Order: sequence, then C-alpha cells, then structure tokens
Amino acid sequence: MKKYFLCLMIVFFFSCKKEEGCMDPSAANYNSDATIENGDCTYNLISININFSQTVNQNPLVLNEMIYTNEANDNFSIQTVRYLISNIFLHSVDTSILIKNVHFIDVDNPESSSIIVNDIIDKNYTQISFTMGLIENENQTNLYLNEDFFPSFVWPEFLGGGYHYMQLEGDYNNLFLGYATHTGPTNGIDYSFTKNFDIPTNIQDGSSITINMEINNWYSNPNVVNLYNGIMQNSNIQAQLQENGITDVFSIVISK
Amino acid sequence: MRLFNLIFFFIFISYGCKKDPAPISGCTDLLATNYNPNAIISNDDCIYFNTTPYTFQNPYGFPNMNIPENNPLTMEGVSLGEKLFNDPILSADNSLACISCHQTNSSFSDPNPVSVGIDNIAGNRNASALINLGWNTSFNWDGSVLSLEEQAFEPVINPIEMHNTWQNVEITLNNHAEYPQLFKNAFNIDYIDSNHVVMAIAQFERSLISTNSKYDRFLRGEVQLNPSELNGYAIFNSEKGDCFHCHGSQMFMDNLFHNNGLDSEPFNDLGRGKITNNPNDYGKFKTPTLRNIEFSAPYMHDGRFFTLEEVIDHYNSGGKYSSTVDPLMKKIGVGLQLTNQEKEDLIAFLKTLSDTDFINK
Repeated sequence: MKKYFLCLMIVFFFSCKKEEGCMDPSAANYNSDATIENGDCTYNLISININFSQTVNQNPLVLNEMIYTNEANDNFSIQTVRYLISNIFLHSVDTSILIKNVHFIDVDNPESSSIIVNDIIDKNYTQISFTMGLIENENQTNLYLNEDFFPSFVWPEFLGGGYHYMQLEGDYNNLFLGYATHTGPTNGIDYSFTKNFDIPTNIQDGSSITINMEINNWYSNPNVVNLYNGIMQNSNIQAQLQENGITDVFSIVISK
Repeated sequence: MRLFNLIFFFIFISYGCKKDPAPISGCTDLLATNYNPNAIISNDDCIYFNTTPYTFQNPYGFPNMNIPENNPLTMEGVSLGEKLFNDPILSADNSLACISCHQTNSSFSDPNPVSVGIDNIAGNRNASALINLGWNTSFNWDGSVLSLEEQAFEPVINPIEMHNTWQNVEITLNNHAEYPQLFKNAFNIDYIDSNHVVMAIAQFERSLISTNSKYDRFLRGEVQLNPSELNGYAIFNSEKGDCFHCHGSQMFMDNLFHNNGLDSEPFNDLGRGKITNNPNDYGKFKTPTLRNIEFSAPYMHDGRFFTLEEVIDHYNSGGKYSSTVDPLMKKIGVGLQLTNQEKEDLIAFLKTLSDTDFINK
C-alpha cells in the first residue's frame, strides 16, 4: 500500500512539472508555473524615443561661437554638424529588433534629433547598438537618392563613391580659416564603426534613449587630431578619427 | 355631375400637357465632361476627360522628381504651360513674358545681371536658370517658396516685373479665343483661375530637363573627356577645388544655402536670412546647378560675374570674411591657389556640363 502511495506522489509531482504556458518573464501572459513553453506568449506594445544630442566638453553644443579648444590647442567654433547613424537595433536576450536602417542628424534641423519608435513589443531590452556612418556594402553611390541626406552627403565617385559619415565644420584659430572634419569611406576603406551599449534600467512605454556625441572627443583619446581641411583622401587621419570615435565619442542616457 | 365632368376634363388636360415634351436624351454619366443633368435617357454620346501623361526617364543618379499629387505632368498641361510661358498676355501691358527674362539660349535665365520689368524698373537679383527644377526643394535665390506652382504666382503681380493682377489675368484668359479650350483640355475646367495658370506653367518648368551634356555622354561611355577636362573633373571632385560639397551629385547642386564669401558685412542682400530671420542665414543663397553653366552667365545672385573665369578667380582668391561665410571657403583671402592651367582645366570641365540639346529645345 505504501508503495502505491509513493507512486501516486511521483505521478502528481511530475504532472505539476509539466504545466504548459508562456515562459518569457517579459511577456504579458508570463506563467511562472509553466515548465513547458507553449509558444503562445503575448506582449504589450510600447512606444519610445531615440534621441540624438551633442555636447562639447559635456556642455550642450553652442553653434557659431569661437569658444572651444581641442586637445591639440586649436581654438574653434562649430557651424555644421551632420552625421549618419545606421543599423539601430534594440536587443533582448533572445531577439533583436531593427529601429531604423539609416538616420540622418543635422543640428540645423531639430526634427532630425529624435526618432519616435511606435509599438514595439515590451521586452526586457538589455542593449542598444548602432553604426556611426554606413558599413561598406550599404555605402554605395546612388543608394539613398530619395533620402534627406542626398545630395549633401554624397562622397564623389572620383573619391570612391558612397556617402560621408559626418560633416563637422567651423572656423579655427582665427576666423579666416575653416575646418572640415569630414569622415567617410576614404580610398574605399570602411571607417564606419559599431557601438554597443548596455541598457541599465528597463525601458518602458514613454522611455527615451539618448545617444550623445561628445564632439571634442573626436580630436582626442587616444589620438590627438588637429583641425584640418582636405582629410577626405587621408586614410591616416580617418583611421585616427575612427579610433577616437570608438573610444569615447558616444554615450547613452536612459530617461524615465 | 357637370362639375365632376369639368374637373376630370381639366385633370386630363393638365396631365396631357405634362406629357407633351419628349424626354431629354443626353449623357447621363456624372463623370463625363458633357454630363447633362436634365437628361433622362442616355444617348451613349458621353465624352470623357482624358489627358496623355507626359513621360520622361528619371535621369541617372537623380532622385524621384518632386511632383505635387494634384498636378501630374500631362502632354496637354506641359504644352499649355509652354504657351503661357512664352505669352506676354500675363503682363499688365502685354509686353513681357516669362521667357523675356528666362531666355532659352541662356539656359532659361537672363543674360543681364538683373531683369527689367514692364515699368522699366530693374530687380535686384539675377533671374535663375530654369533647368532640372523638378528636383529642387525650394525656389528663388533665398528659397522663399517651396513649389514651382507657388513661385509662378509671384512675377505676374510683382510691381517691378509683370505688374498685373490675377483678377485681370483671369478675365483676359477667359475671354481669349484659344485658352479656354486649352485649359479645358488640360484640366477639365470651364473657368480659368490663377491656380490652373500656375499649375500649367509649373508642369512646363518640370519638363525642362537637361541630362545630355558631354559629361553625361562620358558617364554613359559614349565619349571621352580630353586631358584638360579630366584634370578639371579631378580638381572639381577632390578637396583641392572642393566644388562638389555644394555642387555635388549628378544634379550639381545640394538644395542648400551657403555664403560663399562674396561680400563683407553689412550685407546689401540678406538672402536666406531675410526669409528665416535667422542671423546665421544672413548672406546665404541657394546653390544653383552647374549644368549648362556656360550658357547661364552672368553668375551669382546679383549677376556680378560675367565669365566663368571671374567666378573661379573669386574662389581662387578666397573671398571676403563675414560671420556666416561657409567653413568650406577654408582660407578667406587666400583661396584655392589654383594655377592658371588648373583654372583652365576646371573651366574646361565645367563646359562639359553644357547641353546644347537643352537650349535648342
């Protein structure tokens, strides 16, 4: 008799373990008792913003004033800041969702400083990744003809074709000198780079992720770069700017 | 009894009268141009409004043309627009047409620095070349309007241009021997209004497409550029000449506004800044295309340079400093430092952008 009782217990025990349900904790119908994934998870939808900001020495960018000094001791002003951020992804443990293929930021156009992302599934996103510029196979002449960065971002076919990654311009040292930190696929080499940031707090409906560009860091750490003109055919400077860009130009802030 | 007979008699007569006229036959389809609201019987003679689309091939390396949804290009519309463009009927004294200041041989621009209106008053800016306008995102040197339709409203009533009123234009056109039918054919309207006048002109302007220059034929592999032209091409497209940042892509313009160092402050003409009221835009003007630049002299917003040599000399000497001068002017007062040979080569390249088919249209 005792043996039968034990068998019965075992049967009960195993049957409990076999409860089916949604096992994804970020799902709206998460079943904490489920032991078998039934593939029927449903999710709430949330809307978030991806914002793009720019700072110089941690202060908000001020245009057209000769108030900045870089690591190379150049005094400079900033008149033009335009750049492409591509392949913006949000990642959770098991999925990655594409937010936008290519986004053009022009500080003269406030609308370009934000992407409104509507109705993405409410998951526990742990990382955001994006590419500064365009990777080689996405950087071809005559792609993006109908995008707002055409034609101003065209990288001449004579110089290999495709598009600029960034146009950062202003005056330096005295008002009669202009600089043009133009990055792009110099000599056909891909100098774009991808950044990946952890999202420390769970984003929810209405959250914002701000991707900040610290402009002065383009010119320092690890390479001290002078303000130049004519760097569109200079692979050496492009490589230095790329390395600086990877190091500490970008950061993210989550709000709400 | 008699009274009843009388009443019946009258009823009979009144019904008889009503039945007298034969039912009207005509076109009963609301969508037809000759729809007859009184018609009861369809006579199968409906005429429908029908236009022939004006087709063109989008040029290599160009975006899609900006065409308003309510004004697609039709053969009828383009041809009406051309007639209006060439007709002094739009001016108050019947003396000045669009083409008077946008002359075909000059790539539809004015060979004079500024244009003179019907009252002999001169304007203050050079009449723009009308070429590949369908790919512009704003118009006039200051970008004050965002569509060709909107732009075409201006010269007709501008006191120093055609000095007319739209009310007067409408009366003149509606009483004209040909225009009412042409507008009917193009837009299916019975009364000509100003909106449809500018729509027709805008259609014609969008049809002014130039992509058959020597440079285009070079890209298509049909001709070779000579060594001087090739060297000019290299100067143009490298940061040595750095022409391409503003005059880039196959459109040879960027749809943006720049101050290219023509003047010191204070500016005589605030340009873009007058439209935006933003001091950072003072002295900026819209980049013109360089296609057909050989034919569209004089140059700059005020037509101050008569030759391409003068234009290159301006960039070669670096221009004048002002607070809004473009950083791409780089070395103010120093300039590009091109040699005479390099200047010649650059001009040789610019002349490969000439499209004689276009000005012989």
